[in-house]
Amino acid sequence: MNEIAQRIRTLLSTRLKLATAVDEITDDTPLFGPTGLGLDSIDALELVLGLEKEFGVVVEDRATAVKVLASIRTIADYIQSQGKG
Amino acid sequence: MAGDPVSHLPHGISFRFVDRVLQIVPGDRVVALKNVTVNDPYLQDHFPGNPLMPGVLLVESMAQTAGLLLPEGSSAVLAQIKEARFRSPVIPGDQIRIEAVRRGGLGALHRFEVVALVNGIPAAEAEIVLAVVMPNAEKQP
Repeated sequence: MNEIAQRIRTLLSTRLKLATAVDEITDDTPLFGPTGLGLDSIDALELVLGLEKEFGVVVEDRATAVKVLASIRTIADYIQSQGKG
Repeated sequence: MAGDPVSHLPHGISFRFVDRVLQIVPGDRVVALKNVTVNDPYLQDHFPGNPLMPGVLLVESMAQTAGLLLPEGSSAVLAQIKEARFRSPVIPGDQIRIEAVRRGGLGALHRFEVVALVNGIPAAEAEIVLAVVMPNAEKQP
């Protein structure tokens, strides 16, 4: 989990323009919405493409993305549930 | 896709920056042409005596070409332009060959890699994200 979470953190910092320092993002920090990092739909697309490239996991539609991209932990869980990472 | 694909663009004729589609694989890739002519209205003042295709209109041309890959009847707007590079000037007499490939998407967003070539040499390239704002009622993207 920790290794996957760290790779996701790297992905966030390299593919997105974050206002928050990447080590301040916990596994449970909400990635979207005003209480979290405040990412938007374009960031979501960027993340989906990044996850596919880095981990080989496919996020097929918006409904899946809403669930999977909630936090670093939910992304890591999804990667593991797909047998990747 | 029935008829001339260019006619399916939502843009009015004076804001159409694609002349002809050479090849299209709907939802995947498209190759289109745009001819640049000395009496194109925007070249009169860009620049007087030194006509040069504005870079933003090259991007518009590339975005419209990419838009041809969306389901027929869709209207889309620019959501993101990344890694745009303008490598060489485009001037009257040039024929621009625009090649767009869809590279994924999510919900209403569609991402494309687009290159504009003149005489086989890249004049401009960009990654473009389009957001569908009025999806075709029958074919949701």
